[in-house]
Amino acid sequence: MIALIGLVIGVTLGFVLEPTVPLWLQPYLPIAIVAALDAMFGGVRARLEGVFDEKVFVVSFVSNTIIAALIVFLGDQLGVGSQLSTGVVVVLGIRIFSNAAAIRRKLFGA
Amino acid sequence: MSLLSDLFAGRLLDPGYAEAAARRAAAGDSAPRRSRFGGGGVLLVLVLVGVLVFVAGAEVRRSEPVAAAQRSRLVDEIHARTGETDDLQRRLDRLRAETERERAAALARSADGRHARESLAEASAAAAAAPVSGAGFVVTLDDASGADGDDRHDQDPADGRIYDQDLQILVNGLWAAGATAIAVNGQRLTATTAIRTAGEAILVDYRPLGGPYEVTAAGDPDRVRDAYRDSAADRRLRLLKERYRIRYDTRRDDRVSLPAAAALQLRYAHPQGEEPGATGGGHRDGGQGGQGAGSRGNGRGGHE
Repeated sequence: MIALIGLVIGVTLGFVLEPTVPLWLQPYLPIAIVAALDAMFGGVRARLEGVFDEKVFVVSFVSNTIIAALIVFLGDQLGVGSQLSTGVVVVLGIRIFSNAAAIRRKLFGA
Repeated sequence: MSLLSDLFAGRLLDPGYAEAAARRAAAGDSAPRRSRFGGGGVLLVLVLVGVLVFVAGAEVRRSEPVAAAQRSRLVDEIHARTGETDDLQRRLDRLRAETERERAAALARSADGRHARESLAEASAAAAAAPVSGAGFVVTLDDASGADGDDRHDQDPADGRIYDQDLQILVNGLWAAGATAIAVNGQRLTATTAIRTAGEAILVDYRPLGGPYEVTAAGDPDRVRDAYRDSAADRRLRLLKERYRIRYDTRRDDRVSLPAAAALQLRYAHPQGEEPGATGGGHRDGGQGGQGAGSRGNGRGGHE
């Protein structure tokens, strides 16, 4: 419940404030969002398995987004930014899918 | 590859939660703790996620239509401006014809006027201010077909190209042969029209032209042809044709029509009551046209 309220508040805030992303941050935004999605799905899965821990959730969210952005930044500096972001998206995508599969098994038993 | 092996084993991919649960079990309390952040952390993180997702979505939505809208706006503007220019040009032509007619009517009333009209017609023909049609003599010049270096490897591809000098010499030769009006690819030449090279294009009256260059000379075709044949310009171009295989053809045409030259700028004359030099365009035109005027002057003198 808290989670849904938080999401709604966040979207409303974004809608009202309409913050503009600085140009240097724009390449890292999509990757950070994918990392945040990974943390969210991990949290939902842990909640359903009864092992949710708020501290783990917060820390995993923050570290996921920052590390994903850092990897892309490093790749940009090395000239392999697009390849590295592809790698990050693949790894996080696998995790998101397997977490989503676990959530589906818990919820629907299938 | 622990990621893939974990994936296939169906194990927890994020061991953090399992470890935290194990720590709690070891500490003795079975229920997950919620006291430290009291749910606020979850709320904060999800607020952040919401803002992030919304901002990213808005960013993508914003950047795409802006570019498309700008492009279509520019295209519309170009079309509108082109249409405006065409309308103005038509209006100018209409007004010019009307002025011409009115002037002719006004001048026809007296003997003095008729005399003035004759000299005016002469002057405007010399100044290329009126369109000309009738019989004429047409010279076609073009770069050699092997100018791209296909068949003559031993020579510079630039050798087979028509230069501004060739056109200048041809035009001067035609003036000297008695042509009354000359146009290059439909660009009417005046006494001050410049023919110059800029990059790989030849500019006539500051408009770039591409080959083949068709130089149309109005005047009695037989007289022009006889006077032009074996003139210096003819000899030079025939030499170029033999040596560099440029295209060089001459023919007579019973019906040529040459447009009027672009509007003339008054350089020294000025309407009464106006300061001299108030028409700013005249000076610029004079400076740039000087080159062409000089090279054309000789030919002009030859036929007058």
